[in-house]
Amino acid sequence: MKSYIELKNVKKTYEIGNQKYNALDGIDLEINQGEFVVILGPSGAGKSTLLNLLGGLDKATSGSIKIGENDIAKYNDKELTRYRAHEVGFIFQFYNIMPTLTVEENINLIKDVTNTCKDSKEVLKSVGLLKHANKFPSELSGGEQQRVSIARAIMKNPKVLLCDEPTGALDSETGVEVLKLLREQSDEDTTVIIVTHNTMISEIADRIIKIKNGKVESNEINKHPKKIEEVKW
Amino acid sequence: MLYRKMWRDIKNNLSQFITIFLMIMIGIMAYSGIESYMDGMTNTAKKFYKENNLQDVNVLGLMTKDDLNQIKEMNHVKDAELKLSLTATTNKNKTLLLNVIETNNISKFYIMDGEEFQKNSSGVWLDNFYAEENNIKVGDTILVKYESMKLQEEVKGLINVPDHLYDVRDSSELYPDRKEFGFAYISSSEIPESYIKNMISKEKNIEEELIDQIIPNFNYKDYIPWNSIMVDIDQKKNRDGVKNKIEDEIKNAKAIINIEDTSSYVTYQGEIDEGKTYVGVFSGIFLFIAMLSVITTMSRLIRKERVQIGTLKALGFTNRRILFHYIGYGLWISLLATIIGLILGYFVIGKIFINLEMSFFEIPNGKPSMNNTSYFVSLIAILMVCFITYKTGKSILKENPAETLRTKIPKVNGKTLNITKKKIFKKLHFESIWNIRDILRNKMRTFMGVAGVVGCCMLIVCALGMLDSMNFFVKLQFETLYHFDYKLNLKENLNTEELKELYDKYGKNTSKSLGIEIKNKKGIRESNNIFVTDASNYVRFVNRKNEIIPKPKDNGVYITYKLAEKEGYKIGDKITWHIYGEDKYYESKIIGFNKDPQNQNITMTRNYLESLKIDYIPDSLYTNKNLENKKEIKNVETIQNIDNLKEGMEEMLSMMKTMLVLIIGIAILLGTIIIYNLGVLSYAEKEYQFATLKVLGFEDKQIKNIFTKQNNWIAIISIIIGLPLGYYLTDWLFKTAIEEHYDFGASITVRTYIIAAIGTFIVSYIVSKVLSRKIKNIDMVTSLKGNE
Ligand SMILES: Nc1ncnc2c1ncn2[C@@H]1O[C@H](COP(=O)(O)OP(=O)(O)OP(=O)(O)O)[C@@H](O)[C@H]1O
Ligand SMILES: [Mg+2]
Repeated sequence: MKSYIELKNVKKTYEIGNQKYNALDGIDLEINQGEFVVILGPSGAGKSTLLNLLGGLDKATSGSIKIGENDIAKYNDKELTRYRAHEVGFIFQFYNIMPTLTVEENINLIKDVTNTCKDSKEVLKSVGLLKHANKFPSELSGGEQQRVSIARAIMKNPKVLLCDEPTGALDSETGVEVLKLLREQSDEDTTVIIVTHNTMISEIADRIIKIKNGKVESNEINKHPKKIEEVKW
Repeated sequence: MLYRKMWRDIKNNLSQFITIFLMIMIGIMAYSGIESYMDGMTNTAKKFYKENNLQDVNVLGLMTKDDLNQIKEMNHVKDAELKLSLTATTNKNKTLLLNVIETNNISKFYIMDGEEFQKNSSGVWLDNFYAEENNIKVGDTILVKYESMKLQEEVKGLINVPDHLYDVRDSSELYPDRKEFGFAYISSSEIPESYIKNMISKEKNIEEELIDQIIPNFNYKDYIPWNSIMVDIDQKKNRDGVKNKIEDEIKNAKAIINIEDTSSYVTYQGEIDEGKTYVGVFSGIFLFIAMLSVITTMSRLIRKERVQIGTLKALGFTNRRILFHYIGYGLWISLLATIIGLILGYFVIGKIFINLEMSFFEIPNGKPSMNNTSYFVSLIAILMVCFITYKTGKSILKENPAETLRTKIPKVNGKTLNITKKKIFKKLHFESIWNIRDILRNKMRTFMGVAGVVGCCMLIVCALGMLDSMNFFVKLQFETLYHFDYKLNLKENLNTEELKELYDKYGKNTSKSLGIEIKNKKGIRESNNIFVTDASNYVRFVNRKNEIIPKPKDNGVYITYKLAEKEGYKIGDKITWHIYGEDKYYESKIIGFNKDPQNQNITMTRNYLESLKIDYIPDSLYTNKNLENKKEIKNVETIQNIDNLKEGMEEMLSMMKTMLVLIIGIAILLGTIIIYNLGVLSYAEKEYQFATLKVLGFEDKQIKNIFTKQNNWIAIISIIIGLPLGYYLTDWLFKTAIEEHYDFGASITVRTYIIAAIGTFIVSYIVSKVLSRKIKNIDMVTSLKGNE
């Protein structure tokens, strides 16, 4: 089976003064469609950098990043914008939702960038926020805020869902709820990639990728992913 | 260490610090510049008046040597001098106000070139401006003619004189025409005996040759028809006493006029008084707007340092150290800005304005002068900036460090935004909702933005509106009221035959001006004048609405609105007056009001005057005959062309234009900086949200639209507020700032409103366009990392 995401010798180099620093130092990766992937690694390893490249937020210095048929490493700004609009959903540690828009408005935002949207009420229902639809983000708990950002991400029916420490700011109980939602997405054939420090999460993953010093240390398939309920947090 | 941090912070927020710097600098520059210009005007004149011993009182009438000696003897009189002023012409047909004097200790010449005045010296001392305009140098010879007298005089000196700062040929001219009209001084020894003899023979009807025989010991010098005495009084407080004494004892004295009531003095002082209002209004508004935005920017800058303040505190720095550190920001920047502002204000604004005035008023050594108010205002500005940094820093320090250090999602006060959840808003697109809420959340910033743009728009309306109003005034005066092509100023007391000759040639549309004193309702006497018209519709009158009053009636007098308001006269009231030099009082019924832009006085018809048994001998004649090639008309003092009168006005307008262009320039500059600054502030706050939108796949264009939308709204709202405010400001300026004898109001054309509206909008639009270019360069990764 041909993999859905394919990275070849991807490098990201930062220049600080005259010094060059490789945040990513030749990444090779393959990920299949619909997989639930967890990326692990010590702080500063390059996890976020990798995720940003996958999400089209940043450009690789060299190498190729194939998503489906297309090499997004070759995309120009306009194509990257379109890619972000139609194909990826992003979820951040600090939610990044618009503080002055209500929950529902935050989600409806997506209608401005793509027309393959789901129904907002349905999405809200699926993340359990229907009764909060008319509230402002600051009137919600942390977990609820993160669910808003998940709802916003899945609203556009993305092919890939990228999450940078989605549970980092949550207590374990709410963290579980969020993970459950994300897992459901991958079960519906969306590729879900999660960056985390929490090794427990890897127990429910289909694939576990370890990054160290800008390189892939290991890339393993988890033959027997556990159900979320089975994991002890 | 903290110092290094300060400079690094300043470097990192360079554009903000630069705008703070510029706003303070421009505000102070505008304020202190205009202030130093006004003070420069005052001090320049004060110095000139004092050093050149401006007369205190001018006694008018046919004066004699005896009168002079009598006045000199009076208590408190330091000195007095005789003077004869004649309206003479030159061989080039220019008009010269020829002054004949014996000595020059009062209203002394300021010699620009040439030699000092000597008693009994030959030669002429000439108006320096007039000489410049006509390219006359010391040593040249000019020919001066008055009636039968023809004087060929060498120019001995070019001079300024303290009672000739401003001279117009005729009160219907506002702007002095230096090429056509000037003043000159000669010694009384230059008056030829033949002229005096000729004069006496005409007056007494005796042959010139017989004068020596008829009048024993005839010395022509005793017969010089002096027409005024300049009096120098030791102290201001003694002036009324001296005046009363002269009135009682000197029979020849027809009128005793304070120097402060003469046109040169009044016009100069009026310029200062008007200017004083501009100081208060224009530069006050500048400074106010500038300080408003400096304060917002400064407090935002400090607020941005929240986390750092918390860190410093956590590291164990004392509150005092931290506060001093942040006050340093405000202190250094505002200190530097005010110093440069003061310097530029003096050398740029002050100099430019003073030089403009000095081309209008003939006064030497005009220079701006910095006064304490400017220093005081600068100090206040610095203190304000320091205070606001102190206040903001203090409020942050009150939080506990743990709280400060915790980054949190910006708090949204649901209550204030709840209205925007209502039905009608549901229909709006998210861009609009987002912007509305952003405005509601940042009321202060929005208010500042609106205030800045309103101020900018208002100043443009006002500056252009003043020009419009002046143009309107010129039209009213020279097309509606003055409905003739030429005005002939007739010689005094022409007899019936001489008049008839003129009537036959030029028609009989005439008028007469009477110097009078009004005794008002409280019994106080005030000098004024009556315009007696027999000019049918050559000179017309209008009501408040600028509609022509068809035909003035003969059963009473008309007075101007402003005079009526000042004295509380109503239609049907009686007004009490007497002619200068006569004792008989008249009571006239007020039958109507008229509006006169330049002169607050009484108007009556010839028929009414004659019904009071007063002789009507006209002093002006109006005609539409073409007199283009006429240089001289018998029995006519001067010929004035309406176009020349108008040109004079327009020249004054062009001077005003220069000033107004400067004001508009500063307004736009200030407006731009304020809009830009607030734009930067609001952009900085939203950058993180824009980055999020970008991640979500919004195109740059969409995001730019969201951003510019708000600025456009602010601009439009501000323009809607600014236009009418501009009108009221202009009207208020005209009503309060202008001298008492003017009656102007704002009369602003639609064009001005359109220019101001479009101009303001374009400024705002360009600024937000420039700012929105930043959106393209948002680095999603970095801006999302610093989640604040
Ligand atoms: N804009 C930048 N300029 C220079 N170096 C950078 C920049 N962004 C990231 N780096 C460096 O790249 C490396 C990888 O950063 P990255 O954010 O990907 O780490 P990470 O694995 O996500 O770490 P963490 O778990 O702490 O979030 C780090 O060493 C970081 O210092
Ligand atoms: Mg990271």
